[in-house]
Amino acid sequence: MSQHDRTHHAKIATGKGDPQCFKGTAGPAKFKVGDRVRIKNLPDIFYTRCQVYTRGAIGEVAVVTHESPAPEDEAWGHVDQSEWFYIVRFKQKDLWPEYPANFANDTLQTEFSERWLESV
Amino acid sequence: MSNDHDHDHDHGHGHKPPAPMVEEISDFEALEIAVRELAIEKGLFTAEDHRRFTEFAEHIGPTPAARMVAKAWLDPEYKKLCLTDAIKASFAVGVDWLNPTGFGTPSDYTDLRVLEDTPTMHHVVVCTLCSCYPRPILGFQPEWYRTPNYRRRLVRWPRQVLAEFGLTLPPEVEVRVEDSNQKCRFIVMPVRPAGTEGWTEDQLTEIVTRDCLIGVALPKPGMTTNIPLPVHKPAKPAHH
Amino acid sequence: MTEAAKPGAARTEWTPVPLLEEIKEHGRVWEDLANQYGVTNPDPPWKTSLDGMCEALGTTSCSPAMAVEKRWLDGSIDRKDVGGAVPLPLLERRWEEDELSETLYQDVPFPERQLLALTHSLIKRGLVSEEDLAQRMKQVHARLTAE
Repeated sequence: MSQHDRTHHAKIATGKGDPQCFKGTAGPAKFKVGDRVRIKNLPDIFYTRCQVYTRGAIGEVAVVTHESPAPEDEAWGHVDQSEWFYIVRFKQKDLWPEYPANFANDTLQTEFSERWLESV
Repeated sequence: MSNDHDHDHDHGHGHKPPAPMVEEISDFEALEIAVRELAIEKGLFTAEDHRRFTEFAEHIGPTPAARMVAKAWLDPEYKKLCLTDAIKASFAVGVDWLNPTGFGTPSDYTDLRVLEDTPTMHHVVVCTLCSCYPRPILGFQPEWYRTPNYRRRLVRWPRQVLAEFGLTLPPEVEVRVEDSNQKCRFIVMPVRPAGTEGWTEDQLTEIVTRDCLIGVALPKPGMTTNIPLPVHKPAKPAHH
Repeated sequence: MTEAAKPGAARTEWTPVPLLEEIKEHGRVWEDLANQYGVTNPDPPWKTSLDGMCEALGTTSCSPAMAVEKRWLDGSIDRKDVGGAVPLPLLERRWEEDELSETLYQDVPFPERQLLALTHSLIKRGLVSEEDLAQRMKQVHARLTAE
């Protein structure tokens, strides 16, 4: 049984794993740990893994994770262009205005490809 | 990498009576076999495919992640490795993330991150987009993990959801939600609980339940099973 | 991501499959059997095989293939463009399992309900027929209980 997902992975990721197989393909990372970033509100008419609840919010880069094609491209089978990925940390109260004030320290982390981030 | 723990503690203690078995073939059991045989005959998948995935499913039943945490509690060097290269650290608990396919499983990417709790910070993991989960080291997702109820609510009302699991944390403990939405996979490394001084790795492994590794429970001496969760129906279901 | 709506929006009308209704009514679920025989394993012995079957039938979890499926679910591409060789795409199966779990099979415990839903999805697509299945179940019973 042939499946494009397995074929894609078998070709490029065997013996390395994914995302390791994309290491070194994205050039220098634009952001570093501690940078403050805003999540862009890009159109997502086809496919994205960027959650709506993070759009426009400001957070801080917590981890520079790995290089990989963005899911927006990978979903279409385009794996030639890689980007850096970042785990960004937000204060919960910056995501949800009604978040209870007595839990002001609570945070949330999630991951973005570089195209979704802009410097603040 | 070899696992040199002592697993032969039952040797020399005579024969135990065999564990009880269900001695009848239920309609469900027959149905599962019948569907599978017909699917294979029709070429929907091969018997080899099926065997491989089933073996994987069985292999990952108990959680090697629990042993990883227990080892890290006992060995600061190993803990450092877990926090910097969890894929490499997985070998020590018998997990090679590239198996069984040579490039990871068909669904799992191979970038594991260990989230270290502290006395003032507690992590909990969710995948709001579907149900990303570190299967090679933690097994299959519990059913509740992929319900819209958990996925939609945890990011927004984490303390409410945790309370439904029986976990109430004081305000001075920061609750950090990790929404696993890309290729990274996560497990939580809880703080080693009081009352476990002098425990062996095997003893510690027993209390690091799956729920603790997702972050909806904290390890406690004497607690070795997960909590059954009542599943709330979403008012407005999201279809993945 | 925005919440993907199933094409057609309205909830599917699920037609009961007589064979599966029969199993639903009269089949003994694992909980009963385990209690009766004093077995403590929380899952029936066929559970991992069922998981293996779901894996083998579709792609799983958050993979690029699943992304293609999502584009079908939100209406941006046709069903025929979804991963050609995947007999039962994972999201499609799950979506149906979720619906069936709240309708036809709402009183059946897990994982029996997962098995009924999977079978229902396969029958609905003509990937296996109800008649073949009834026949095969009889053979399986006979084979497994042969003296």
